[in-house]
Amino acid sequence: MENVLQIVWLIPFLPLLGFLVNGLGRKYMPKAMVSIVGCGVILASFLMSIWVFIHVREGGGYVADYFNFIVVDKLKIPFALQVDELSSLFLMIITGVGFLIHVYSTAYMHEEKPEHFGRYFAYLNLFVFSMLLLVMGANYVIMFIGWEGVGLCSYLLIGYWFKNVAFNKAANKAFVMNRIGDLAFLIAIFWIIAKVGNANYADVIAFAKAGKFGASDITVITLLLFVGATGKSAQIPLYTWLPDAMAGPTPVSALIHAATMVTAGIYMIARSNALYSLSDLTMHVVTYVGLATAILAATIAVQQNDIKKVLAYSTVSQLGYMFMALGLGAYSAAVFHVMTHAFFKALLFLGSGSVIHAMSGEQDIRNMGGLGKKLKITSFTFLMGCIAIAGIPPFSGFFSKDAILLSAFEENKALYAVALLGALLTAFYMFRLFFITFTGKFRGTEDQAHHVHESPLSMTLPLIILAVLALAGGWVGIPEVFMKGGDKLSAFLSPVIPVKEGESPGHSTELALMAISTIAVLAVIAFSWFRFRGYQRKGEAQGLAKVLENKWYVDELYEKIIVKPLQQFGSFLNDVFERSVVDGLVNGVGRAVSYSSRQLRLLQSGQVGSYVLLMVLSMLLIFVLQFFLRK
Amino acid sequence: MNALLLSALMGVVMMFSGIVLKSKAAIRNIAIAGMLALLLVNILEMNGTVFLVIDSKGMIGFDRFALLFNSIIFFSTFLYLTLSARDMEKVGVNYAEYLALIFFILCGIALVSSFRSLIILFLGIEIISIPLYILTGSDKLNLKSNEASLKYFLLGSFSTGLMLMGIALIYGAKGTFYTSGINMVNGAISPLLIAGMLLLMFSMAFKVSVAPFHFWTPDVYDGAPTVFTSFMATIVKAGVFIAFIRLFDEGFASQQPKWKLIIAILTAATLLIGNITAVFQQSVKRMLAYSSIAQAGFMLLSVYAMSPDSKEGLILYAAAYCMATIGIFAVLIKMSDYTFDGFNGFAKQQPLLAAVTTIFLLSLAGIPLTAGFMAKFYMIKAAMYNSGLLWLPILALVMAAVSVSYYFRVIQAMYFRESSTPSTLTVTPAFRYTLVALAALVVLLGIFPNLLLAWLYF
Amino acid sequence: MFQLLQSGLNGTGAGSYLPVVIQIIFAVGLVAFLMVVTHMLGPKRKTTDKLQNFSSGIESHGDARHPMAIKYFLTAILFVLFDVEVIFFYPYAVNFKMLGWNGFWAVMLFVAFFLCGFIYIIKKGALKWED
Repeated sequence: MENVLQIVWLIPFLPLLGFLVNGLGRKYMPKAMVSIVGCGVILASFLMSIWVFIHVREGGGYVADYFNFIVVDKLKIPFALQVDELSSLFLMIITGVGFLIHVYSTAYMHEEKPEHFGRYFAYLNLFVFSMLLLVMGANYVIMFIGWEGVGLCSYLLIGYWFKNVAFNKAANKAFVMNRIGDLAFLIAIFWIIAKVGNANYADVIAFAKAGKFGASDITVITLLLFVGATGKSAQIPLYTWLPDAMAGPTPVSALIHAATMVTAGIYMIARSNALYSLSDLTMHVVTYVGLATAILAATIAVQQNDIKKVLAYSTVSQLGYMFMALGLGAYSAAVFHVMTHAFFKALLFLGSGSVIHAMSGEQDIRNMGGLGKKLKITSFTFLMGCIAIAGIPPFSGFFSKDAILLSAFEENKALYAVALLGALLTAFYMFRLFFITFTGKFRGTEDQAHHVHESPLSMTLPLIILAVLALAGGWVGIPEVFMKGGDKLSAFLSPVIPVKEGESPGHSTELALMAISTIAVLAVIAFSWFRFRGYQRKGEAQGLAKVLENKWYVDELYEKIIVKPLQQFGSFLNDVFERSVVDGLVNGVGRAVSYSSRQLRLLQSGQVGSYVLLMVLSMLLIFVLQFFLRK
Repeated sequence: MNALLLSALMGVVMMFSGIVLKSKAAIRNIAIAGMLALLLVNILEMNGTVFLVIDSKGMIGFDRFALLFNSIIFFSTFLYLTLSARDMEKVGVNYAEYLALIFFILCGIALVSSFRSLIILFLGIEIISIPLYILTGSDKLNLKSNEASLKYFLLGSFSTGLMLMGIALIYGAKGTFYTSGINMVNGAISPLLIAGMLLLMFSMAFKVSVAPFHFWTPDVYDGAPTVFTSFMATIVKAGVFIAFIRLFDEGFASQQPKWKLIIAILTAATLLIGNITAVFQQSVKRMLAYSSIAQAGFMLLSVYAMSPDSKEGLILYAAAYCMATIGIFAVLIKMSDYTFDGFNGFAKQQPLLAAVTTIFLLSLAGIPLTAGFMAKFYMIKAAMYNSGLLWLPILALVMAAVSVSYYFRVIQAMYFRESSTPSTLTVTPAFRYTLVALAALVVLLGIFPNLLLAWLYF
Repeated sequence: MFQLLQSGLNGTGAGSYLPVVIQIIFAVGLVAFLMVVTHMLGPKRKTTDKLQNFSSGIESHGDARHPMAIKYFLTAILFVLFDVEVIFFYPYAVNFKMLGWNGFWAVMLFVAFFLCGFIYIIKKGALKWED
């Protein structure tokens, strides 16, 4: 009997359909219809994802093979979709959070013209389609299609307001940075195919488990995959595009740049965990790059004044945590954090969108303040998000962050200390953001003060749902300490991600660590309350604060050490090498061809006699060649 | 066998239709209907329905390859007639006779695609050639047309002489006309056989305009009325190619070491001369003549590689090449100025026609997503797999790159140049639709070449 | 000499063509020989009369490159065409019995096409002498 899961193709297909309908009909369809189509297809996908999830939970994973996508000689790349524990979890996150964000968007974008409204939803649907393809592909090639697709959609959506030059530049930056990573990913895929013979996960993992990869091969492949992941998941050194990506509409930031696309790198590494576990070097690189990113981004976030920029750097920082967890071999902790982070970061972004909406497009928190009284639902849900991300029990962030910190502790105490510092920074900047925005006195203009209002239900309802999830979403992974068998997530993921063997530091240590982090976080929150409750605009930042405000001058650094020299090298190539050598060569070939063309043309005299002569001569030549010169 | 008989019959019918009917539209419609019927009976034969079995003593054998090839030829001719039959009216008064000659040529192609005996090959080649001499000179008041016809006739007779001499020598060596008998190896290889084989090769090379036997091609293609150039350059050339590959596959397979290098040299010469000379041409029609030489070089790769792969490649190449070239010629016929400048600003005057012409040109140049790309890919792949000579496929690739330069000159003229004269071109909606369908087919085959190739096997 | 021919006949390969070569040499040699000999032996009288065309004693006028009516050629070529095709009946007549009904129908087909051609040229007016 054919497996019922054979119809999983519907899950990505529905958003694709939505994309086509909205994209092609954007000029004819009213906004209401666009909204219904746009949200409806995602809802349908979401419902199917739940159904798939239940099936997978009962019956395990399944690979649905549809047709041969690429056949070249012995290489066969099937178009196959894989639903197993890992991908079905991601399916739920993507379609669930995606659906809420779609609903939210219908209100957030309602001032757009119908045509652009349709375009927006078409892009959004296409994005969900690509993301679903990314997580459902049963081999690296299908994953790569989705991978490129999300990159493209990200580009399209960041540059959604394409009349603004700065936004287009941000879109370009995101695209180029992503492309650098994609190139590495592509090389890694080629490498895998060259070694394994195809790119199916099952075969690659079996190959890896059989120990057939050479040590250097596995290191290079995993490093290249990791470079790919740094591009998509905004890690050092390719992270700078993500804060700039905030140029897109806020729901886009929530969907793409917080909840889904940026976790693609995490997904990819979690999917390839069998490969990563074979290379210690790569694991270390991943850990330390992740940690460095987490700290760097957290410090920058402390001094940002744009509400979305703070959240953006916070995302980079949280992604750093996830990478650290991956590097430490705590794959399920990383996936867990992906899930909880999707809830609370989407919540925070949507909350910030609600604030921006209320403030008529104002994004600078220095011009806000005291909004808590007017935006009750928004401020309350935002607070929930802050608590979740800060990691206070029993909110979801606590459990996932705790799992990561614990694995850091097991590895190395210093690592733990630095990671904890990052967590404290997180709590600090998040509450700084909260207090400056929602408490104190209003610092905006009269106009804005007059206009401030709570958002409509279609915006607040997703906020409420997400707030509930931000609270409760972590309860699927309660550590052993509190509840026997509480860590349902790891158990669920165990077929794909083997549970890490090894001695745990003991329950008392674990409890102590939790207590330390919780108390420290509370202390930091209290500190920021005293510091920012009566926030007043100050003059130009000085010293370290100024450095932080300018994001450690990383963009400028890149400009100096990469862009400028490259440009100079480029102009050298253009002015000297290109002109003299390449052009010379190319034009030379062209000239040679056209010269010989002119000469050959003369053979065509138009005289039948000369034709026959030439023919006979060449026949004689061939006869001579055949009978006398060859043996 | 169905198609062979029907095409001969249709030829006779067309001859008399010119006497009985006065309306040219009626004559044209009969021809197109006949063409459809021809295609239909051929497809029926592919499915195993044969109307009349004539015992040819094994001199003719219709196999899958031949039938599929004939289907492509008939389909292309059908397209050709729907697109360009109207334009034959301008050539001269003997409208029905032109169509009759085309049917006779198809009869010849049906013969050469399925010959098992050199007699039939000779017969088929002559049935193809003689009507072509007439069609070339059909524009009786045009001196260039007359000159072309005479040249073609003289040189063609020369090559016919070579062929007869070759057949005679082979008969002398082997005592049989059957290809299977010729292929049999018994005892020492007679030099007569090799000499005969070379002479046959030369005359076939002449018919498909392979260098250095290509000299007639530019003059004849240029001089002939453009409608008939279109037919000669595509359908006839492809038709003779199948005879070429069949002859060397079935007749001389056992002598492969003797001819492989020579075919390689001829291929290289054809690719070089065809492509490089085309670069400098000023007239699109003449450029297409050289392009047809260059494309013949690519098709010759299939004879060179001689494998199931290369046969698939030839099928695809014939289809891709015929469709694209017929399309371009159909547009070219409508133009008043055949030079590259004549295409200036064409995209503004006729955006749709310019777009489909661009697709055809891209296909000829072998740009991906068109049938031409897949065809070239199959050819070069076959050549890579079945040879010790790596330089030949590499040369083919380089020459494909050179070909881009002259095909894109047309595109450049159409899209990036301003026209100096207003367009006087008028086309019917049916013409447009057919062209668009043709372009769609070119793209479709470029994505799913197996749609066509699957017919070889089921 | 005879020995040489004999050995040539018995041998295989290129040697077996020796008789042909010898015949060519003879043919060319004889022509050359005769031409040289006539020039040497014959008396030479050069008069204008000798350069005139002579055709059955009738005076010639003009030269042969006069334009002629196409009908003349057409009739001639059609005559040759049908004449040559009739020659096909000879081999058929010889093998009449052996070929049986199959051969009969094949020849009937041939005749039918033949007849079609004949009707066609008459209908086209190719044989009409007067306009």
